[in-house]
Formats: sequence, structure tokens, C-alpha cells
Amino acid sequence: MDLSSVLSGFAVAFEPQNLLFCLIGVTVGMLIGVLPGLGPAATIAILLPITYSLEPTAAVIMLAGIFYGAQYGGTITSVLLRMPGEASSVVTALDGHALARKGEAGPALGVAAVASFIGGTASILLLTFIAPALAGAALAFGPAEYTVLALIGIFLVGTLGSGSLWKSAAAAALGLLIATVGLDPILGTPRFTFGTDQLADGIDFTIVAMGLFGVGEILYNLEHRDRPQPAVPAFGRAIPGRLHWLRSRAAILRGSVTGFVLGILPGGGATMSSLVSYAVEKRVAKDPSRFGKGAVEGVAGPESANNAAATSSFIPLLTLGIPANATMAVLFGALMLQGITPGPGLMTEHPDVFWGVVNSMYVGNLLLLALSIPLIGVFVRMLKVRPGVLAPLTVVITMLGVYSIRNNAFDMLLVIALGLLGYGMRKLGFEPGPFVLAFVLGSLLEASFRRSMRIFGGDVTEFVQRPVSGSLVAVLVLTAVIVPVLRKVRTRQSGAAEQPAAQ
Amino acid sequence: MSEAVVADPEREAPREDAFEEPRPGGRVQAVAAGVAPVAIGAFAVWLAFGLEIGSLTAPGPGLWPLIVAGLLVLCGAGIVAVAATAGTTGGTEAFTRGTIHVLLAAGGLAVYASLFEVVGFEAPTLVLLFAWLRFLGRESWLASAVIAASATAVAYALFILGLGVPLPHIIAF
Repeated sequence: MDLSSVLSGFAVAFEPQNLLFCLIGVTVGMLIGVLPGLGPAATIAILLPITYSLEPTAAVIMLAGIFYGAQYGGTITSVLLRMPGEASSVVTALDGHALARKGEAGPALGVAAVASFIGGTASILLLTFIAPALAGAALAFGPAEYTVLALIGIFLVGTLGSGSLWKSAAAAALGLLIATVGLDPILGTPRFTFGTDQLADGIDFTIVAMGLFGVGEILYNLEHRDRPQPAVPAFGRAIPGRLHWLRSRAAILRGSVTGFVLGILPGGGATMSSLVSYAVEKRVAKDPSRFGKGAVEGVAGPESANNAAATSSFIPLLTLGIPANATMAVLFGALMLQGITPGPGLMTEHPDVFWGVVNSMYVGNLLLLALSIPLIGVFVRMLKVRPGVLAPLTVVITMLGVYSIRNNAFDMLLVIALGLLGYGMRKLGFEPGPFVLAFVLGSLLEASFRRSMRIFGGDVTEFVQRPVSGSLVAVLVLTAVIVPVLRKVRTRQSGAAEQPAAQ
Repeated sequence: MSEAVVADPEREAPREDAFEEPRPGGRVQAVAAGVAPVAIGAFAVWLAFGLEIGSLTAPGPGLWPLIVAGLLVLCGAGIVAVAATAGTTGGTEAFTRGTIHVLLAAGGLAVYASLFEVVGFEAPTLVLLFAWLRFLGRESWLASAVIAASATAVAYALFILGLGVPLPHIIAF
């Protein structure tokens, strides 16, 4: 590993402008984490047009901050109201809210914040050592390897989601299909453009992300807007006592490792790892019956795990160019908009972006720790903002942002149509995640598949015969065996947990 | 929204602070969830045949869309089969009266998008915000008017004066 570029990344992260965007990112992330409804993927999608005018490093630092900041924020409503702002803090609600009922909301939030900080920071350290090795190995990948890799990505995101396998696969297939709209990437023939020039360039990724995640979520929330305003319970200072620390120490360590490992797997991510960590803590506890009634380990473990996973899920994106989850797919789009192709070359071609973003996460986690302990009261007050006011403002920002991409009103209509598609998908039980991920990977997958077919002379079995792509196929097959087991764990856990609030 | 969550009998001991969960959709909706991908896929297959398919050695522009659309049809058929035999709702949610609001909002947005380049962004933004706040958000007349007017002004300041985005506008400084 080139130590000097790691160190110069710190210099980039500490530039005043980047510090400012890091602070903006984590604060926005924390806010949307607190507010149920709009998730990090939607927020990042909505803010994409604004990042056009920013420098690439600053833009990605801010968007990444939104992502891991949301993990911190989601905890607050989980503990205080048993209303997880993010799916990854669903299990935190079990014991976190039980602690809040016992009058220990403050300590619970304090433990959660520190656990999140440790999980996130440990994960950045591990990432610093593992990512260069992985990127080095990936430099040797050819079209065949990328075909299989993209398939693994789509497959895992589809299967590790919470919905049915058929539906995830259908959503992914639809995403791949929509990705073919526009000119053929190799021959230049127009496809599915219905004779209009508007579709000749294909559908911009920003529009798909803003439509499905942004407008789709706003429309979806509109239907259930009669939710009562929750009463926020009182909470003391967010300073845990000695007993809390003694109980959470080991849980935080185990959670960090679990989160890091699961976060690297495409589709694993924060939600999965918090569920697994909770299961692990319950299993190793001397008295498992305390769980669900206010065991502080049940907060510490999952919280360190979901933050560790949020961080390590950057690894496949930054080293292989394969987004591990829906939010990473949106970040993939953000990098592409800046003219930077995420992949094995990123670390050598744009070391300032790579290490600047990675090292800014140390800063971001510190900022979040500083924000969450004294300022929890301020964020909780945000819950008083009525969703009926927030939705129209978000929708106008989205619409103006869409227009600003190409100064084109047709794009606005496209976003609305995709928003309705997203709403319809949610109502019919399809998850938008696999759709967006497949859309992002669609052109890569098609181009590598066609190139490999030319190289192989039309022989599909070559995918298995070449050593590297063959091993990747083995990984694909292996995951097909492991995934059902993981799904079982998840099923058992989410049986006790509350339903994910939003993407 | 997973099947597992819906099917799990342990779930949902009554909670005093829980808000109303969306109701699962019926059998018809579960089957429709499969018919829709089949229809979209079949249409795309038909369009793909209009392009040149080529061969595996020399793929034409239509080959990949054909594969993907075929996959979509297959998945849709799988969903229909599961819905018809297992009798689960497959994570669907019933449409409610709120669906009308969703359609109204989408329609309003479409009108907004079409007016945008014709009369500038100020008036449509003001009207959209006001209507959404008053009728969908059920804010008071006064609050709706104040929020709509100030948000439009902020959007003008932010996008046109601040970021220099060339939004069509009629008020010029």
C-alpha cells in the first residue's frame, strides 16, 4: 500500500471546503435519519443535481456523509419512539425502546452513539488495508469477470432483500430492460426510443434514482399521511453509566467485525448486519431472557454493526465498481456524473478522491459523535415538522433539480412516471432497490457480456473454463447456497422486529 | 414488507404507540403483481424481435434486450404461480382511498412540468405548493399561503441567484 497517498488523503479531508461539506453531509444524514419517510438513497438522489457544481471530492464526501450519518440518526427515533427512521435500526428499537421505557433513554442513546462511532471507525481502518489489495487483484479482470461480478452483485442484492425472490428478480430484470433504452452501446442502433430524440441518450441515472426513490417515496408516504404525531418521551443526558459500558464492550467489538464482513457482501449491508449482530448477542448472552426487555448489548451490537457495514459497503463500489446496495448505486451514479468511473483504477487514477473520501469518514464519524451526544434534543425537535409540509417542499426541490440536469421539461415528466412506477412497485410488493442497482449495472453487464461472447466465439461455457471468471462463478453458486441460510436468520429476527420503515 | 414478516405468527403483539400498518392486498392484487411483469416483458420481447437479434458469436442490438425481457416474463410467471398456489399476498399492500391523493399529486406534478417552460417556474411552483399544502397536507389557508410564497422565493434565490440554474422565469433582477 502506498502510505503517502493515504496521508495526502488526510490533507484532502482536512481542506476547509471538504470539512464543511462533510459537516453538511453528516448533519443532513442525521436529520433524514431522524425523519421517517425519506431514506438516504432518496435524499442522495434528490441532491445529485446540486452536486454538479461541486468538486468531485467535496461532492462525494458530502453524499457519503449523508449515508453514514443516516445510520446514526435512525437510532434516535428507534430508541425514543420505537419508530426506526431507517431499516438498519429496526432491531435497535427492540431493546433501545425498552430501555427508554425504563427511563434509560439517555444512556441508551449514548451507548448507541459510541458504538456507532467505534464500529464506523474500526471499519474505516480495515477498509484502508483491504481495499488496495482488492483493487490490485481486480485490475486483472476482463469482460468475462465483470459479467460474472455484475451478476453476483445483482443476484445478492435481489436475494438478500426482504421481498420474495421472484419479485426481486423481476425488479432487477425490469431495471436491466430500462437500461437498454437509448442507443446500442456497441453498434449505435436506437432501441426502445419510440422514435423520440428525448430517449436517444437513454434515461439518465439521476432521473431513475430521483423518480424511484425520491418521487416514489413521497407519493407512497402521501397515502399513509394520517399517522398520529408521536409524543417524545423525556430523556436524560446521553451519558451511559459504568455498568452499561461493561456490558456493551464485547458487543461493540463483535458487532464491528460482523458489520464489516457482512457490509462487504453485496446486498448484505447495514440492515442485514444489525439483525445478525442482534442474533449473535442474544446467543452469547448469559441470560438471553433480558433481550427485548432492555439489554444494552442489544443496542450496542447492532449499532456498531450497522455503522461498520455502512462503511465497508463502500469497498465493492470503490475497488470493483460494483455497488453493494441501493444507496451505493446512487453514489455510483454520483461519481459517474463527476466523470469518475468507480472501479479498480480509482485508487491509482484519482488517489485524492479515493483517500480524501475514505479519510473524511474519520472526520465525519467524529462530527457525528459530537453532534449526537449534546444535540440529540435538537434533532428530536425536528420530528415536530409535519410530513404534510415537508413533502411538497421536497417535491419542488426534486422537480427543479431534475429540470436543471438538461434544462428539459420532458425529464420532469419522466421522473413523475418513474415515481408512479416506484409507488406501484411498492404497492405490489416489489422493492425498488434491485431495480435501481440493475439499472446502474445494466450497461456494464450488457457490454461485458457481449464482449466476452465475441472473445469466446459464442461459447457460454468459457465463463466456467477461465480460472478467474470460473472462480467467480463458483462464488455465485456458493452464495446461492449460503443466501437461503442467511434469509432464515433474517426471517427469525425480523419476526420479532418491527417492519422496516423505508428504504 | 417481507412475506416472512407478514406470515410470522409471533409478530404484532398489540402496541399502544404503533401506527396503523398498511393492509396486505388480496389474491387478485398478488396475481396482478405477476401479470404486470409478464405483460411488460412480452411487449419488450416483441419490440426486441423488431431489432436485429444476431447470434451469440456476433450479438445484434436486440439480443440482450431479448434475454432480459425473457427473464422478466419468466419471473412474472413465477410470481403468478406462487400467488396462485401458495395463497400468500406476497408483500402486496391494498390500495386505499389515499391512492386517489397519490394520483392527484402525480397529475398535478405533470401539469406543473408542462406549464413550466410556458409560463416560467414562479407561478406554477406557487400554485403547486399551495394546493399540496392546503389540500393534501391539510394545512390552514394562511399557513399554506405563507409557506408556499416563502418557499417559492427561497427556490428562486437558491436556484436562479445562487446556483445560476437557467430555470425559465418571468421575474428578472
